Amino acid sequence: MVSYAYVVPLLPLFAFGLQSLFGRALGRATAWVGIACLAASTAVSLAVLAEVLRGAEAAVSWPWLSLGGATFSMGVRVGPLEAAMIAMVTFVSLMVEVYSVGYMAGDAKFNRFFAIVNLFVGAMLVVVLADNFLLLFAGWEIMGLASYLLIGHWYHDLANARAATKSFLVTRLGDIGLLIGIFVCYQAAGTLDFAVIDAGAASWAPGVATLAALLIFAGAVGKSAQVPLHVWLPDAMAGPTPVSALIHAATMVAAGVFLVARTYPVFEASGTALAVVAVVGGVTAFLAATVGTVQADIKKMLAYSTISQLGYMMLGLGVFGYAAALFHLLSHAFFKALLFLGSGSVIHAARGEQDMHRMGGLFRKLPLTGLTFIVGGLALAGIPPFAGYFSKDEVLLTAWENERWLFWLGAATAGITGFYIARGIYLTFFGRPRDAELYTHAHESPPVMAVPLVVLAVFAAFFGWLGSASLGRLVQAFLALPGEAEPEAAWYAAASTIALAAAGVVAGGLLYGAARPELRAHLVRVLRPVYVLFREKWYFDHLALGATGLGLAASAFVGWFDRTVVDGLVNAVAWFTGVLGQASRRLAVGDAQAYMLTMAGAVLVGLAALLGLGVSRP
Amino acid sequence: MSWAWVGFAVLTGAAVFSALRVVLSPSITHAALHLAIVLVAVAGYFLLLQSEFLAVVQVLVYVGAVMTVIIFAIMLSDLPLIRGGAGLRAGLGSERFGWLPLLVACGVGALVLVGYGSVVWTAAPLAFQESLPMLADTTGQGTTGLIGRALFTSYLVPFEVASLLLLAALVGAIVLTRREVAVRVRELPKPVDLRAVARTGRGPAGPKAGDEADAERASAGGEA
Amino acid sequence: MMPELPVAAYLVVSVVLFSIGLFGALRRRNAIMVLMAIELMLNAVNLNLVAFSRYLPGAVAPGQVFAVFVITVAAAEAAVGLAIVLLLARSRRTADVPDVRDLKG
Repeated sequence: MVSYAYVVPLLPLFAFGLQSLFGRALGRATAWVGIACLAASTAVSLAVLAEVLRGAEAAVSWPWLSLGGATFSMGVRVGPLEAAMIAMVTFVSLMVEVYSVGYMAGDAKFNRFFAIVNLFVGAMLVVVLADNFLLLFAGWEIMGLASYLLIGHWYHDLANARAATKSFLVTRLGDIGLLIGIFVCYQAAGTLDFAVIDAGAASWAPGVATLAALLIFAGAVGKSAQVPLHVWLPDAMAGPTPVSALIHAATMVAAGVFLVARTYPVFEASGTALAVVAVVGGVTAFLAATVGTVQADIKKMLAYSTISQLGYMMLGLGVFGYAAALFHLLSHAFFKALLFLGSGSVIHAARGEQDMHRMGGLFRKLPLTGLTFIVGGLALAGIPPFAGYFSKDEVLLTAWENERWLFWLGAATAGITGFYIARGIYLTFFGRPRDAELYTHAHESPPVMAVPLVVLAVFAAFFGWLGSASLGRLVQAFLALPGEAEPEAAWYAAASTIALAAAGVVAGGLLYGAARPELRAHLVRVLRPVYVLFREKWYFDHLALGATGLGLAASAFVGWFDRTVVDGLVNAVAWFTGVLGQASRRLAVGDAQAYMLTMAGAVLVGLAALLGLGVSRP
Repeated sequence: MSWAWVGFAVLTGAAVFSALRVVLSPSITHAALHLAIVLVAVAGYFLLLQSEFLAVVQVLVYVGAVMTVIIFAIMLSDLPLIRGGAGLRAGLGSERFGWLPLLVACGVGALVLVGYGSVVWTAAPLAFQESLPMLADTTGQGTTGLIGRALFTSYLVPFEVASLLLLAALVGAIVLTRREVAVRVRELPKPVDLRAVARTGRGPAGPKAGDEADAERASAGGEA
Repeated sequence: MMPELPVAAYLVVSVVLFSIGLFGALRRRNAIMVLMAIELMLNAVNLNLVAFSRYLPGAVAPGQVFAVFVITVAAAEAAVGLAIVLLLARSRRTADVPDVRDLKG
């Protein structure tokens, strides 16, 4: 089965084709066609995973392009990383698609939604399974396209269209870096095959490796919404919630992390690149968490949370915690998808309202949603025994060993994480309902939406155990690179993270659950500068605008240069020709004798020249 | 001093004096006549150079034809005497372009003379070629035979081209100077009225059967 | 017959005649005058050619044939040129070269 792993991306792509061509004819059944294909794909992935767990591996490839002397192939490589990823991607996508049948019911472009979701899933699977940069890049770009199309699903509202464009353009910036990085790798290795590149990276000059790594990381920064290219993810919440759950929480944004993991030997060959990765990750985690504390929109809060958790993964990769980071990637996929789908459930119940300040007390009305949401929230905060604890803990322990200050940054972030998610939970589900109308009409979700929630909650609750010390750290062992050691179990480090997380949760709960609003208002007044900083997202949007301004200024200069200097030069030549022409015009008098005189003069000059050139004289 | 030098001196004097009169004379007819003298002088030079054919051709064509044409043109152009020029007396500032023509002409002349250098000014100049390179069947025919032979062998193509050129010049000159001839448009025959023909049973008015017979008899008679 | 005349003599005469002709062609106003001056120049050239043809070994045939052609072309050119002058004189009542500037650019 492992050698047939290429079926896994083909099935969703096939579904995409069917849904695009026959969607109109199939009607509502279109969604189930896609789900059927995806279920089959999931089954195949699980089979592959089972085999890889037993030690199997596979690599298949077909020749694709022949350009000049180089041949590029299309191929699939299946190892532990790939097997785990495709299992996760297909499974979570399946959950989200089933959920979407209920969530998107009644949407005018129901079929288009499912078709593009399947396109996306296919592309993501291509990225995971690709055995060379070219194929990976192709899938990468198609993912970007699908993301754009899905964010702008309700494009009649111009704001959604703009959000989609923003996401596409910002990730594009990263993609340019990735593309140049691919060129550098090709220069250095002579091929785009990962097997060759990974094997040979150690022998590259450190400068080359650093350059390639940083460029590839640029692509990851874009796709995984790290600082400073993170500005698109909160705006991407304009898309339907299942899209947010799938693409902007579990899969596409994880592709950046996956990319770094995939090209890890290149990063290892360059000392500085990994340090950059770690710092970027840590800073992102912290910044995003702080901004998440002041969000009113439930989806935006989760968006910043995603950015923050992705920062954790990058941090893990940067401090040589390869297996830890990937473990966190997997567990994050489950609980973040759960959280998003849960928020979707709430939004669905609240008839489209997303402002948490207008919610409250929904637990009584949406018990199932609320319960699963709490499970996800605790996982996110890293409270044992839920999934997030084990994976985040692993990352932080690796940081403790290698870069102590990053550990403290991560631990502080854990505290803030606990705070904002507790805040979110309390505002949404507990306390007195703030909007009576909303409260009255709220109802629990239909089964087609509820079942995925429950399934994901189970994973969020128990997945972590697979990586815990007591069960032999199966996940890490499975994913680890050869020779990678597990971090030492510094219990005081682990204890401080749990303490900070718990403190955060308690603080959030108290502040938003028990305390009176006046207290919160008072705190905001006291901490006003901090509050504003968070609310303005650390002024990154302003920075981006400034950067755009710079770009516009540069292009204005270039435009001026082109018009004045370049065109001026050309015009000057033409003008000069005109001047010459006008001057020569004076010769065309129309008087034959004048012409004769000119000719005679020319003969005179010619004769003089001839004779002056050394003709022998008597 | 041989007769050659005397002849040469006379010819040169006449040629140069007349050439100057040609270009400096205020009267166009005077200029034309002096040109004729120059042309004859050149024929004389040709004789001195023992090129008898060219001398004769020069007189026949240049003096006989070209000068005639020039004089015809002068007379037919029916212009008042040339204006504005008083020849030598008016100094060199009148006519056209001030002193430039003199300058240019003298310059060209001087430079050409300089250019003749080794040919003309050396102590051992070129010698006169007494004998012509005779071909077998042209002995005794002088330059005439030589030129004739050359024109019909080595220079045949230029010869034919020159005749074409003369034809073109001939046609061109005639076409250019033809006076416009008014062309009378002949009357077109009246259109036939077929209904009238059908009604009356007679063809269009034209030569009747009788006329045709008369014409035949007339021509038959003429022939006999 | 009379071999003492140096080639220089003929050449000098030819150059003098040519210069005079050039002078006249550039200076005179009347078109017919100009044409006459040009005939003068052509004759000077012919003299030059024939002189060389008789003084250079083996140049008799080319020199004199060339001179024949010059005479031919000069005749043709005179005919057509004068026809044009006549036309001009008829239509514009002038035969002055400076009066005909239609091609002034």
